[in-house]
Amino acid sequence: MSRSLRLSAFALAAALMAAACGPAGTTVPPASGGPAASAPESSAGGSVAPGPAGSINVLSLWGGSEEKAFQAVLADFTAKTGVTVNYEADRQTYSTTLQSRITGGNPPDIAIIPGIGFLRRFAKDGSLKKISDLGVDTASLTANYPEGFLAAGTVDGELYAIPAKYNNKGTMWYRPDVYKDAGVTTNPSTWADYKAALDATKDKPGAMALGAKDDWNLTDWFESIYIRQAGVDAYDKLFSADGDWTDPTVQKDVDTMLEVINDNYVVGGIDAAVGRAWTDAIAQVFKPAPEAGTFYEGGFVGGIATGQTNTALVIGETIDWYPFPKINNTDEVTTFGGDVVGALTDSDGAKAFLQYVITPEANKVWASTGAIVSPNKGVDTSAYPNDLVKREAESLTSASAIRYDGSDLLPAGIAGEGLGALLQRAIRGDTIDWADFQTRVKAAWDAE
Amino acid sequence: MQADPPGGMERVAISSIGVAKPPAPPKQIGRRYDRTTLLFLGPPAILMAIFLIYPTIYTIALSFNRGRRGEFNEWVGFDHYINLLTGDKSFLDLSHFPPEGAIWNNVLWAVFYTTLVIFLGLVVAVLASRVRYESIIKAVVFLPMAIAATALAIIWNFVYAPDSNIGLLNAILSPVTDRGISFLGNPSLVNAALIAAGVWGSVGFATVILSAALKSIPSEILEAARVDGATERQVFFGIIIPMVSLPISVLAVTLLVNVVKLFDLIYVLTGGGPGVKSRVIAFTMYNDSIPGGQFGRGAAVAVIMLVLLIPIMAYNIRRFRSSRVT
Amino acid sequence: MTAVAEPRASAHERTTSARIVRFLNKTPIHIALGIIAIIWLAPTVGLLVTSFRPRSDIQVTGWWESFLQFRYTLANYGEVLSGQGMLQAFINTFLIAVPSTLIPLVLASMAAYAFSWLHFPFRDGLFLLVVALLMIPVQVAFIPLLKLFAPTGLLNSYGAIWLTHTAFALPFGIFLLRNFFITLPRDLIEAARIDGSSTIGIFRTIVVPLSVPAIAAYGIFQFLWVWNDLLMALVFVQNGKAWPMTKAIQNLLSQYGTEWHLLAAGAFILMAVPLLVFFSLQRYFVQGLLAGSVK
Repeated sequence: MSRSLRLSAFALAAALMAAACGPAGTTVPPASGGPAASAPESSAGGSVAPGPAGSINVLSLWGGSEEKAFQAVLADFTAKTGVTVNYEADRQTYSTTLQSRITGGNPPDIAIIPGIGFLRRFAKDGSLKKISDLGVDTASLTANYPEGFLAAGTVDGELYAIPAKYNNKGTMWYRPDVYKDAGVTTNPSTWADYKAALDATKDKPGAMALGAKDDWNLTDWFESIYIRQAGVDAYDKLFSADGDWTDPTVQKDVDTMLEVINDNYVVGGIDAAVGRAWTDAIAQVFKPAPEAGTFYEGGFVGGIATGQTNTALVIGETIDWYPFPKINNTDEVTTFGGDVVGALTDSDGAKAFLQYVITPEANKVWASTGAIVSPNKGVDTSAYPNDLVKREAESLTSASAIRYDGSDLLPAGIAGEGLGALLQRAIRGDTIDWADFQTRVKAAWDAE
Repeated sequence: MQADPPGGMERVAISSIGVAKPPAPPKQIGRRYDRTTLLFLGPPAILMAIFLIYPTIYTIALSFNRGRRGEFNEWVGFDHYINLLTGDKSFLDLSHFPPEGAIWNNVLWAVFYTTLVIFLGLVVAVLASRVRYESIIKAVVFLPMAIAATALAIIWNFVYAPDSNIGLLNAILSPVTDRGISFLGNPSLVNAALIAAGVWGSVGFATVILSAALKSIPSEILEAARVDGATERQVFFGIIIPMVSLPISVLAVTLLVNVVKLFDLIYVLTGGGPGVKSRVIAFTMYNDSIPGGQFGRGAAVAVIMLVLLIPIMAYNIRRFRSSRVT
Repeated sequence: MTAVAEPRASAHERTTSARIVRFLNKTPIHIALGIIAIIWLAPTVGLLVTSFRPRSDIQVTGWWESFLQFRYTLANYGEVLSGQGMLQAFINTFLIAVPSTLIPLVLASMAAYAFSWLHFPFRDGLFLLVVALLMIPVQVAFIPLLKLFAPTGLLNSYGAIWLTHTAFALPFGIFLLRNFFITLPRDLIEAARIDGSSTIGIFRTIVVPLSVPAIAAYGIFQFLWVWNDLLMALVFVQNGKAWPMTKAIQNLLSQYGTEWHLLAAGAFILMAVPLLVFFSLQRYFVQGLLAGSVK
């Protein structure tokens, strides 16, 4: 071994030692010291010692512009109660993080839960605390929330979570300038009108953008069509434990979907769309030089498009939305998506947060950011900062029936291909074996 | 299998190579047994017992249980295994040919990834040995080994993206295609695209190993063959390949272990999609247990992984034993 | 440049024209290697170039067209480091990786020494067990270890991930180092023993100094492994403030699907340290790879 070799090895070792001693001595705190450290010693149930008074962990999946809006609410909460919040945002691996932390006996005090499937799992295994056990003023709850909304947080007749925000999933986003150039003067209100608008904008510069790599975009399509084509009652049944996926309405829904989601309309073709992220599809429509005129997804597209994709967008000129076209429905019906907030510990901070988040004041702070539509009845539409979200809020209150995003109602533990994966295949022209899916969905319901 | 192809790969690789070396039985020092031995061996032994052996036993037991919350609550016998192997088409679908499912994808990886890495590694090693900038070429090819799968995924997104203003490959192909090809969104292309990215990441490793093996071939033999009028192809297949067959077999074992544990690249590049088309066993294990909350079922998948690794492990141990005798 | 560098060059080749002929004879090889170099460099270079491009350009043209426009910026790095918390994540990655490298380094060296030069019952059998443990995939550890860690509070600090990384690194380390240690000259060690050195003394003054290349190689592998790890961190680092870079970038990936400029910059920050380690310590890397290898 040469001397230089030995010397450099020594230098390496020294460097590593220095690196180890330097920060390690002083920085273990970020893990154990910060305001984060309210981890209760034991996990589920029983006498959980509340963490250091005045601080809670909140885990949610909101990052970027959504996080900024929520931080405004958290700041107001801290100002009002003195409880500091350690906020963690995790979209991509949210379920892993939450499940790991619950299994490891280290749950966040408050979790924003994105799907009812999740809610049921954690409610049934006792990880989620019952709202009634947390000292929340139930009178103000029933006064401030429409009854259907509290159902979204209810498992086996017991309330476990409170609706935090919601979005209309019946919003068809489009470029008014593209429509105008193509001669589409009135917004389509029927399925036939809609196809006509796609035909008109086709190649000028393109009809529709689709980012189906995120397969929930496809389940949203499926649900939006289903509630309008098969009806609200059929919708309720399909996404419950009694649902029958072999029912002809299911395949009929897919057939209708394929009338617009095909190589003829989707910019770049179906093949490319299945490999494209949904945010890239938003960009195809709302970047400075658009490639397509229309993009379907929920109300949150507005915030992403104007806040991230292209800050130069002008409402009414280069971005706007109209209601998802009517199919068999005569009344306005729509699906909505939303997140619910629940407590995984019964610490004082967690109780204070839940009590706070149901107040109209908290919801007004949040609504004023323009990022959400509040389910709280105390929030007047004047609380919203722009026309896009104001109209979204109105559309939800004026609709004759609204229903929760169906795929979020399905059990979380379906083995193998989920609905989104099946639809990815369907738009590529595969024939779907609905009987097989029915078997697996049923098994997952039974296993809950 | 974890966050980077390099780590998992080299870890096992080196050890396999180590196995191949005949170690002379060393003479012991110190008394036959004393406290010092305990001091040296105790802490690592305890750590391995707690963090490796105990979890393995726990997981095997859990695979026969419903496993709600990761605890033992309801014994279900072989239900998970039966359901996985016969009732879940995303795991194994033998209803048509070629079969589909996570296990089959692992087979594809085992065949194509392993042979391509070894073949290209050999090609690069042989070609590079003929030029003066050998070390530069080897460094260039080895570079991806240092890159995390998370970064690798972003790198390959820029290659495979369907829109030609982002995706390099579609930009190159755009003159001959009328619309973007979705390498990661097309079920018939996705596994090939992933394997290509995996091969890209691993060839450097094979090159380094095989290059060293090539250097150990006496140059007189090659010269003699060339003087005798053998073509380069004859030299390659007639002399070089047979003489590096041992390191190649060691490499193959390493790469196969890698394939069984394969997770990260797929997790970050496609998330198992489109649909479930690019899932592999380790992905299903992760997906069913952690986000899916079906811990018993996930444990059963982990046990299947272990079972697949046993022959490779046995091969390694036998190799270790036989080489020790010589 | 003389032909000396080419080992097989014989005397008659030592003329300029002969060298040119020889170079031309190798033209197909140069072309093939050139293509290989491009294939292996282009994707990474693309990432690097993209990370310096303004966002508005990335939305419109590919990185390969930027050489004509020549508009580059450092803004992406600034935004990722400050706005996206990547700086804290960078520090966290160090805090996870350094102990997770040093602890197994020490423990594996000691165990490997015992397996190669000390005598104790069932030594060979236990060593085979270590070989077997090499195959255990980390996935089997998730649930049992989460349950095990639950009452300790280690999940909220770095303790859990340090311990888990250490344990999973030990079989490989013991294996590699033991195979190196047994090649050390026996005479040297016996002489020291006769001189009255203790077991620990021999380990410290003879075995470790003579094994620096192997130990360094193991250290580098382990460091890169931990640095690049995402999966273990996802499960065993349960404090949002302690998340490493791999996790931070993973979040970036999802919430900014279109924000390629941030992704590219973030990915390059993640790659920077491994590349630095790789280029500065390449010798050890390769030496370690071949330590005790086929000869």
